[in-house]
Amino acid sequence: MIPALFLITLLGVPLTNVFQRSFEAGTSFDLSPQLSIAFSAAGQALVSTLLATCIGLPIAGVLATHSFKGRAFTQALVTVPFVLPTVVIALAFRELLGSALAPGFLLVVIAHTYINLAVIVRIVGATWQQLDPRKVTVARSLGASPIRAFMTVTFPELRAAISSAASVVFVFCFTSLGVVLVLGNSSTRTLESQILRETSLLLDFPTAAITALLQLALVSCVLLLGARTSLKRTSAVSTLRFTRLRPASSKAQRSYVFVIATIACSLVLLPLLSLAYASLHNSAGWTLEWWSSLASVDSGTTRLGSPLAAIGTSLRYALLTGVVAGIVGVGAAIGVLTHRLGRAVALIALAPLGISAATLGLGLMLAYGRPPLDLRSSDVLIPIAHSIVAVPLVIAVVLPTLLATDKRFAIAASSLGASPTRAFFTAYGPILRIVMIAAGGLAACVSLGEFGAASFLTRSSDPTVPVQIVRLLQRPGEQSFGVACALAMVLVLGTIALVAGIDALGKKRWVR
Amino acid sequence: MSSLLSKIALTIAVSSSMLLAACGSSQQESGPATVTLLTHDSFVVSQVLIDQLKTDSGITLKITTAGDAGSMVAGAVLASGIPNADVMFGIDNTLLTKAVDAQVFSSFTSKNLDSVIPELKKDTGNGVVTPIDYGDVCVNIDDAWFTKRKLAKPTSLDQLTSPAYKDLLVVQDPATSSPGLAFMLATIAKYGDQWGQYWEKLNQNGVKVSGSWTDAYDSAFSSNGGSYPLVVSYATSPPAEIVYAENPKPTKPSTSVLTDGCYRQVEFAGVLRGTRNEQAAQQVVDWLLSAGVQADVPLSMFVFPARANTPLPEVFTKFAAKISQPLQLLASDVNANLKNWLSEWGQVMGR
Repeated sequence: MIPALFLITLLGVPLTNVFQRSFEAGTSFDLSPQLSIAFSAAGQALVSTLLATCIGLPIAGVLATHSFKGRAFTQALVTVPFVLPTVVIALAFRELLGSALAPGFLLVVIAHTYINLAVIVRIVGATWQQLDPRKVTVARSLGASPIRAFMTVTFPELRAAISSAASVVFVFCFTSLGVVLVLGNSSTRTLESQILRETSLLLDFPTAAITALLQLALVSCVLLLGARTSLKRTSAVSTLRFTRLRPASSKAQRSYVFVIATIACSLVLLPLLSLAYASLHNSAGWTLEWWSSLASVDSGTTRLGSPLAAIGTSLRYALLTGVVAGIVGVGAAIGVLTHRLGRAVALIALAPLGISAATLGLGLMLAYGRPPLDLRSSDVLIPIAHSIVAVPLVIAVVLPTLLATDKRFAIAASSLGASPTRAFFTAYGPILRIVMIAAGGLAACVSLGEFGAASFLTRSSDPTVPVQIVRLLQRPGEQSFGVACALAMVLVLGTIALVAGIDALGKKRWVR
Repeated sequence: MSSLLSKIALTIAVSSSMLLAACGSSQQESGPATVTLLTHDSFVVSQVLIDQLKTDSGITLKITTAGDAGSMVAGAVLASGIPNADVMFGIDNTLLTKAVDAQVFSSFTSKNLDSVIPELKKDTGNGVVTPIDYGDVCVNIDDAWFTKRKLAKPTSLDQLTSPAYKDLLVVQDPATSSPGLAFMLATIAKYGDQWGQYWEKLNQNGVKVSGSWTDAYDSAFSSNGGSYPLVVSYATSPPAEIVYAENPKPTKPSTSVLTDGCYRQVEFAGVLRGTRNEQAAQQVVDWLLSAGVQADVPLSMFVFPARANTPLPEVFTKFAAKISQPLQLLASDVNANLKNWLSEWGQVMGR
């Protein structure tokens, strides 16, 4: 019930506010431009999703089943692109590929694949970690090739997680904003960029509201499709004994792990290295000036605080978001399992994926930015917005794992006289702990990099790191660019540390 | 050196405004008040001036930012009459009519309006906003690039379509970038009904369109490592290049400005209709136009102060381009035609 309440107050009320205000002036609409944009955006999203899934699956498999030196680092590294502000990623790609590729379809698809690799790796990986490896061993000992073993044993058990992850990735690419603005051209417009144009440039709110509704409807359809597949309980019986990560057993396996991990790391690192280079370089050569001025740029002005202070602000929001989104998301996922109306709640909770950041930001500000409930001054609106954005991801991580858990434990516990609550926690408790840490960590990461919705919210205190980076990038001068790159590198390093820390915490608990 | 001079200039300006304020404040009897200033992300003012406002008038200034100017105005229009703040700063002449039509502001112009440069106060939205600063969007030139190739720098918009300057210009998409929009409006102001043809010629001459100013200036502009020596930016970008350069600062910028075809953007402030703090809000608008804040504006936001005869920092007097005949369109014309212009631009440019 709590998740439902959370979503109604923080999602329903603001949206009603926006739509109500938008439709006050009645106009007629011509939806044909929107539909043609939706069509081309769907094509782009489909290609991006396919690429991200194909590259992400082997990486997820290696990370979920094998222990090797640098595993935690690799896993953390793969998550980083998802967390970086799109502006920074776009910039990194321009540095890397700008001279080779003109802005357009290909560049957008590459950037989308890069960003969303983490979604596939983490969502699918969370389920993959819990598959019983003995089944694959059995299949292999019966003579199945690795590919055949994967197709007949592993894949069917992963299908729910894959379709869940893929539909989330599709929606991210379909509603993408930052990437298409910087790396795209006319063929890569999205409804989201159209909404931004209609709200902030033309101030044509009725049309923007219609576009936002259209986007919401289309995204809901995709998520429903994804949910239909992922909510089907996989027939395979999995046990509660979690697999420990095992070192590669054969030479072939060792080289496979090595190759995949190396590819994953270099894919992620290449653009990041061009960023690092830019943060240590000026027109004359190598320099540390950009890093050393992180604390001092803009002191004494209303650009409140230095870039360094922005890091503290971002961490605070990230922590809050991790806790709030973790609780709400896991609560919603439990609701799906236990409550009659649970599935409806879960679908509503996925809705923020399709609600444009602009609409959400404006709505929150309208609903809670003035008396009687003025949350603006307390600055809780930003973590709230971040939580709303993060909850769908949390659900996407938690739900497939819970669904893959053997329900018979709960049945056994009840038949032995446990109360329904007790029975539930006996069956799902151990998994919940792991999954909650992973999900909360992912939510915290979303908060660290989120720019869209937050940029629309009025704020009175320090800017977050992404906002600060964008501000620095929006003015001329070598210093602005250099410091922005240094700050982006801080975000990169901070994310790697955070994710590695969370992963380590999760592992400690479940390798008993 | 220049920063020391500007600091001295600032100190003089601040202390003189302190004196002025001290003389005037005996007649006012406003109690302690908090005024919330709604502004865009690019707003900057020295902290010392905010402290000054507090000492002089008892007003505590709270600043809330709301994304870029477009997002800010969008939010203000939706919240018209029930505002989240008391004063809005940073609305420019392209968006003004939308806000005025939506009755975002209450009737008030600063008592200091007399001191404003005359041509800036032609449009105050029928007496609801006060001009605070202005800036010009112009094509910037990478001087070194042209010197190296012994090619004459372009001196007019017309020349940009000539084969000599093929594949040299990068502009921003007017639908996604504020300077990009200003440049499109400049061509409309200059060429009238022929503006579409001008863009066709630009297109044939290999103009590159970026999504954002950052992308165009930081990545595509040859001065910053790209391959385009002409970029749409601001008349104050050359001095900003110096101020935000690494130490030791260069003695002169490596870029200059094409002074033909510049579009003038004026930024206004106004009291938001529905404020519970009308009087204090008005004082904040006055403060924005006070000598102290006006002297702070150039180095804080890289725009020119609206107040006539405000002393400029040396880096501005030396390196900022002075545009004698900037282009401008009526705010109401922009409001009425923007949607059509954007779609026409999109058709011509195939975007």
